[in-house]
Amino acid sequence: MFRLLRFLSWRHVKRHRLRTFLTFLGIVLGVAVIVAIAIVNRALVGSFQRTIDLIAGKAVLQVENGESGFREALFAVIRDTAGVRDAAPAVEGFLPLLAAKGEKLYVYGVDFLADSSIREHQFVGDSFDLDSALDFIARPDSVALTETFSRRLGLPIGAKIGLATAVGVRQYTVRALLREQGAAKVFGGNFALMDLPVGQIALGKQGKLDIVDLTIDAGERIETVRRRLTARLGGAAQVERPRERGEQVESLMTSFRVGLFFVSLIALFVGFFLITNTVSVSVVQRKREIGTLRCLGILRRQILLLFILEALAIAVAGSLTGVVAGVLLADAALVFVGRTVNSLFFQLDLGAGAAALGEIWIGLASGIGVSVPAALYPAWQASRVTPLESSRQAVWRPRSSGISRASLAGLALLVSSPVLASIAPSVAASGVAKFTLGVIAMMLFLLGLSFLAPFLVSAWAGFFWALVARLPKSSRFLRNEARFACDSLRRVPGRSGMTIATLMISLAAIFTVAAFVTSVRESLLLWVDRMVTADLVVHSGAKTAGPLNVPLREEFGAKLAQVPGVAVVDFYRLIRSTYEGKPIMIESFSAQRSARVRTLPVITGDGQSALRQMAEERGVVVSESFHGKFGKGAGDVVSLMTPSGPVGFKIIGLYVDYTSDSGSVLIERELYKKFWGDDLVDAFDLWLAPGADPQAVTREIIHRYGEPYQLFVSTHKELKRNVVALMEQSFSVNYAVEIVAVVVAIFSVINTLLASVLDRTREIGVLRAIGATQKQLRGMVMAEAGWIGLLGGVLGLFAGAVMSYHHVVYNTKFLTGWTFQYYYPAGVAVVSLVASVILCLLAGYFPAKQAASIPIVSAIGYE
Amino acid sequence: MIRLIDVHKTFKQGASEVTALAGVSLDIAKGQFAVVMGPSGSGKSTLLHLIGGLDRPSRGDVVADGRVISQMGDDEVTLFRREKIGFIFQFFNLLPTLTAIENATLPLILDGRAEAQARTKAQAVLERVGLGRRENHLPEALSGGEIQRLAIARALVFAPTILLADEPTGNLDSKTGGAILKLIRAINREENCTVVMVTHDREAAALGDRVIYLKDGAIEEMRG
Repeated sequence: MFRLLRFLSWRHVKRHRLRTFLTFLGIVLGVAVIVAIAIVNRALVGSFQRTIDLIAGKAVLQVENGESGFREALFAVIRDTAGVRDAAPAVEGFLPLLAAKGEKLYVYGVDFLADSSIREHQFVGDSFDLDSALDFIARPDSVALTETFSRRLGLPIGAKIGLATAVGVRQYTVRALLREQGAAKVFGGNFALMDLPVGQIALGKQGKLDIVDLTIDAGERIETVRRRLTARLGGAAQVERPRERGEQVESLMTSFRVGLFFVSLIALFVGFFLITNTVSVSVVQRKREIGTLRCLGILRRQILLLFILEALAIAVAGSLTGVVAGVLLADAALVFVGRTVNSLFFQLDLGAGAAALGEIWIGLASGIGVSVPAALYPAWQASRVTPLESSRQAVWRPRSSGISRASLAGLALLVSSPVLASIAPSVAASGVAKFTLGVIAMMLFLLGLSFLAPFLVSAWAGFFWALVARLPKSSRFLRNEARFACDSLRRVPGRSGMTIATLMISLAAIFTVAAFVTSVRESLLLWVDRMVTADLVVHSGAKTAGPLNVPLREEFGAKLAQVPGVAVVDFYRLIRSTYEGKPIMIESFSAQRSARVRTLPVITGDGQSALRQMAEERGVVVSESFHGKFGKGAGDVVSLMTPSGPVGFKIIGLYVDYTSDSGSVLIERELYKKFWGDDLVDAFDLWLAPGADPQAVTREIIHRYGEPYQLFVSTHKELKRNVVALMEQSFSVNYAVEIVAVVVAIFSVINTLLASVLDRTREIGVLRAIGATQKQLRGMVMAEAGWIGLLGGVLGLFAGAVMSYHHVVYNTKFLTGWTFQYYYPAGVAVVSLVASVILCLLAGYFPAKQAASIPIVSAIGYE
Repeated sequence: MIRLIDVHKTFKQGASEVTALAGVSLDIAKGQFAVVMGPSGSGKSTLLHLIGGLDRPSRGDVVADGRVISQMGDDEVTLFRREKIGFIFQFFNLLPTLTAIENATLPLILDGRAEAQARTKAQAVLERVGLGRRENHLPEALSGGEIQRLAIARALVFAPTILLADEPTGNLDSKTGGAILKLIRAINREENCTVVMVTHDREAAALGDRVIYLKDGAIEEMRG
């Protein structure tokens, strides 16, 4: 068999280098996307955990309470609990560096003397002894930087650095340099150590702690100490192992990661069709060769195996190259994904995209695992070629008018798709499982349409054959080429159908992503309009509230209130917390201050009434994703973990919230402050007095406080623009896959047209012999490409519309709990259709040129 | 009508050159029925291809209907072929998805003629070859003889001055082949159309006004 592979297949490959290269490239691209996404997903899963592990040092247990932290007074309770050996308190947060735009330091405020029991900080130089440490603590502007950071930004010992803190810009002096070991390795060395009280002031957490790292006495069991601590803390903070804490926080990104996986599935699906198409084309081309081999005594199963082995050989080469390309692609993808995660979830240290053995296997398995099944059907067709084929002249016989088995299978798949989609919510337990079933239903729908493609090609070509005949005389020239192109499609609908299916799938994927992005964007903008009615929104350190901004103390609000033109100031706070052991977000603002100028997008009932009840501190409002995840609705009571212990709040309504798909609880600020003891503010919402000019007020705020507080002031319009930019950034990987889908589709069209030209060599020769000019031949092949583009485009838009509606309205709801309005991207539809035809025409250029240049004599003698 | 002046044709086959025609000079008068015979590889088909402008000589000139076709550009020779030359092939070479009348109108369609005009002309030639009642049939529904008649109809639709036939009966039984030869002869006489026919069949050759024997790319003998 390997001799046959060497004699026959290798020579065929060498003779058709371009087509082989296109297929190889298609596999490389598909595998690269899959490997890159797998690397990104692993980086996302492990990165937060790695950071926690590095910072946790020797700690076996951690006491924490999300972003709100807990009272410092609890430290004594923790330290004095039986079984606790060492306890190291800390506060943490990111602070922007003034001197270098875009640079942020992960500031860790620790008890400088006690911390070494948990973490081993290695200082540069021998001179940093106890005296140096005491000197460091004694001066309230001391900061220790990592050696790398110091070298990179030219900040030696003694250098001054300005940081944008919760109380405005503060100057610090570099008094020690850390070797990049342990905790100092996190975030690429953008790490700073401060003494605890200094860190607490800088991060606005006076009297509070974010975390206490613990080791336990020898002979004690971790779970026993944990139970003791939990009991003594009375719900005011949670006691967790470092790994659990990482997993919990990382679960915030589940939807994002599942979304990325969904994107890689598209690449796989498109790749499947490329392989099937290529092998089919190869079979068409080599029918005579196969017939001759059959005459010479080759067995059917040998033919089958030969074609499968050919596909396997290209798949192995493509997959191996794809793995390498995937690693390179991952580096770029990690940059985009890292930005998204840092903006939407939390600061992550993603590092470089090295492939582990797992990703290499994923790449090889997907490339080979898709290629071999994709080659099965065309290989089976090859094995059905009769020995007579070697001497047969090209005789075409119309297919029987009955519906083919492929069409029946297509119909069956089309019927099963909505059935599966409709039963998914009742048979699957988790959101991810429902989403997965929904995606499978979408794939079945696409497969169904693909199986029906040959039938649709026949129907379409027949219809257009008749339609073109009715074109006016003035378009006679075009009409002839178009009619011959229709004829070619009609004659071999299976071959054209495969390409049209590939094109359809690519376009459907592109359209689905476009419709999803449009729907999310429009829904978000509508939500921002209803949720944020403020004229101006003020943040420190970032353009939007989230992981990137620096929370400021509430006192700053009084300063803003004094700016001429400002009528109402409200305080918005967003923190991570947990509910029933799962991460949620707590949002708060002061309805008491702003109910008269605010609106609240509630799911049912009246937003003003909900705001009034909030202001009267009668309860909390929960987001629809919270409702979807935990089943809690209006009238129920939710018990939230606060630094004051668990507190029950009555739910007064449900609201639309796209802040986090983990679920949000909206609470009146006074209640929040009371139970969480936190007066930090992530955003100041400003409503202006009638007639006040937003630009003038913005200028005044920036003039007065812009520099000392590192402020970003956004008008309502700018805020919307920032939200859209954040959203667009989160879809960057999807766009990359779209490009891959388009490239693969173009390869398919070129492949098919080349095969079509080869398959019709004799016919082309006859046409030339009876008077068809080269220009007419080129026109025919180009017209065929145009028909393929048009039909692929129309089908792709149809499939895309159905899929995107299902994805936006159902799948997204399953996965995130969010409801998005479906928006049909009409512009994208028109552009896609036109682009599909134009790209196919471009793809048809080379085969058309080849058709026109076929020597007539050898063509009519073509065997 | 047809003149070949010291026509040479060589093909490259790997590193070596194969001579298909070695200095053939020939005159065929208007309305003459010339039959080309010779063993396989003697250059018969090459000669026909050169007369039809399907290929170019390596040296020498081919003149057809008073024009030097061997020096024409591709488009020019294609248009000349479309209007002046009709081809009949051994394997018919019809388009299988087109009906009889659609196949017959093909050269006119390529020429951009109006549909109605093309159909009228095609119907006339189909009547002429005896396929008047089969115009809406696909080639696969026709018998071997009918298929070749259809191929002849297609060749005649432009009323060519030259008809080139490459083994037109090679794929037919002797009875059907005989009928086809009679048809070609009748066309030759009635339309005063010059015919050049390549054949192996001695009986077929007997129908010609003139027989040209080729051997190793050169004219060995000419009769008539």
